[in-house]
Amino acid sequence: MGTFIQLLIDGLSTGSIYAALALAIVLVHQATGMVNFAQGAMAVLSGYIAYSLLGVGLPLIGAIIGAVVISFFVGALIERLLIRRFERGDEHTAVVVTIGLLTLITGICAWFWSYNNQLFPSLFPNQTIPVFGASVSLRSLGTIIVILVIMGLLQLLFVGTKLGLALRAVSINQQSAAFAGMPVGRLLMVGWGLASALGAVAGVLVAPQLTLTPGMMDTALVYALAAVILGGLSSPIGVVAAAGIIGVLENLAAVYVPFIGHDLKVAVPFLLIFVVLILRPQGLFGRKAVVRV
Amino acid sequence: MSNLLKKPAVRWGALVVLVALAVVLPLMLPEVANDTIARICVFAVAVLGLNVVMGYGGQVSLGQIFFLGLGSYVTAYGATNDWNIVLTFLAALVLPAIAGLVIALAAARLGGLAIAMVTIALPIVGLPLARRLDHWTGGSQGLSSRFSDAPEWTGLYHDQWQLYIVLVIAVVTFVLVRNFVRGKFGRALAIVKENEAVASSMGISPYWYKVLSFTIASMVGGISGFMYMSVVQYTSPETLAFHHSITLLAAMVVGGSATLAGSVIGGVYFVFVPVLTNAINPNLTAMLQGAILLLVLFLLPGGLASLPRRIAGLRRSSGSRPGAPPREEAATRAVQKAASKQPTRKADQ
Repeated sequence: MGTFIQLLIDGLSTGSIYAALALAIVLVHQATGMVNFAQGAMAVLSGYIAYSLLGVGLPLIGAIIGAVVISFFVGALIERLLIRRFERGDEHTAVVVTIGLLTLITGICAWFWSYNNQLFPSLFPNQTIPVFGASVSLRSLGTIIVILVIMGLLQLLFVGTKLGLALRAVSINQQSAAFAGMPVGRLLMVGWGLASALGAVAGVLVAPQLTLTPGMMDTALVYALAAVILGGLSSPIGVVAAAGIIGVLENLAAVYVPFIGHDLKVAVPFLLIFVVLILRPQGLFGRKAVVRV
Repeated sequence: MSNLLKKPAVRWGALVVLVALAVVLPLMLPEVANDTIARICVFAVAVLGLNVVMGYGGQVSLGQIFFLGLGSYVTAYGATNDWNIVLTFLAALVLPAIAGLVIALAAARLGGLAIAMVTIALPIVGLPLARRLDHWTGGSQGLSSRFSDAPEWTGLYHDQWQLYIVLVIAVVTFVLVRNFVRGKFGRALAIVKENEAVASSMGISPYWYKVLSFTIASMVGGISGFMYMSVVQYTSPETLAFHHSITLLAAMVVGGSATLAGSVIGGVYFVFVPVLTNAINPNLTAMLQGAILLLVLFLLPGGLASLPRRIAGLRRSSGSRPGAPPREEAATRAVQKAASKQPTRKADQ
């Protein structure tokens, strides 16, 4: 039972990382209608920025906040300089653009910081506390709490502020939003910036565990995309729930299903996807897309 | 020039010259050149497969390398267990096709970008899977087999014999795929790519055509895996690494999507560019490749294969000759027109 609770909390912790990345993808998709395959690479870049800020002598929390802020602007700039050109075009070309971006950013990280693993300190002490007879790591708990708080803040932003209202308007109908006098271009930049900042949080939270490498988030991106498919691109809550389910299931499967083990647990979300896509193609929580001709 | 190429006599003549070159050149070139050409053939076929699903079908696939890897493993397994070579080839073709079919059956259910989002997992799941199934795959060590060594009676060197094998397979595959995408299937696929709603209103099921094109792409990927094994004679989990899959996609886009010439250029890109960027600076490889891909998307969305047409178009627009547009372009324009008459609007928000 103790192991089970431990696995559950650890699973929820990794799940919350996937959830942050998946939410960033949904955010970008809501704003610009594209799926950003470079979201993971951008998060890695943020991790490296935090690493460099640490190297300059900033305290950990300052470095993280600095990285999140810088990432916001990096995301906004990427939207303005690169993505804007492909937004109205074919969505498959846009995907290829984000894949080019993924390669480019991975390359930039490798260029500046090399392919060697860099250690990144954790915000939380490496200790465990007893919960119901299980020893639960503070890192896992801390990660879950941070991500939950940030999701709450995002929710507040989208529901409670004028900026959030404008962002929602743009995601629903760009043309009407423009007619209503909203600066659509700048709002799209904000959307990308927010997604990038959210990814930055995921990056700095996962970096202590995986150590910084340019390909650190490749696997996390795959999990996040799986969560996006399962939850449905149009449903932020669904995506978060799916990410949590994936995190827990893969952790349980790694320990309790001998064939899967730790190296094959990445297959778990995709087995899940196969089942779901056959039974419920619109995703667990998504609504069916209706196209009017 | 272009008129000259349209004359049947010239075309047949060019074909004869090409065939003669393909027969003679392997005998004359040094071993390194033969090996390089053979590798280009391998990856040209892999890119061709990707082109079927992505260029012609309009579905982004990030998993093509998985099918190449699967084909190479099946070939290696068959060769080490002394299967008949024809049987091995068929297995290397059918098993990836079945895998592709199963994956597409699920992934194509979700419209839009689901195929891209699912196939990105293939290399990432495939690599540990190949390590785990060490009974068949030899684990991290990989498998090697020398089934493609030149038989005694030919009197050829190994590299010459291998180049002949892959040249024949590549040419046959290209001709078959060409006929396929220019025929009924290809026209239907073009409409699915252009506008799914129009396609279904014409009785063409977007779902089945996506599944079919993905299956064929997987099969062609399996063929390229067989060729890979013939040339390299060794395969390991590293063969289906994620970054190879991305390079394959970049090769297709840089070469030119939805063209056969683009697939060949893609093969050249896949073989040469990583070597070139590595020579400049190994730490810059990924960055340069990403930059090349983005530059091509910005400046030449049709890829290098569209360069001649682009230049001709520039010349024409500068006023020298108001020639009629080529037939193919006119046809796609007609399809686009038909599509744009019925504006679609997503109402899922």
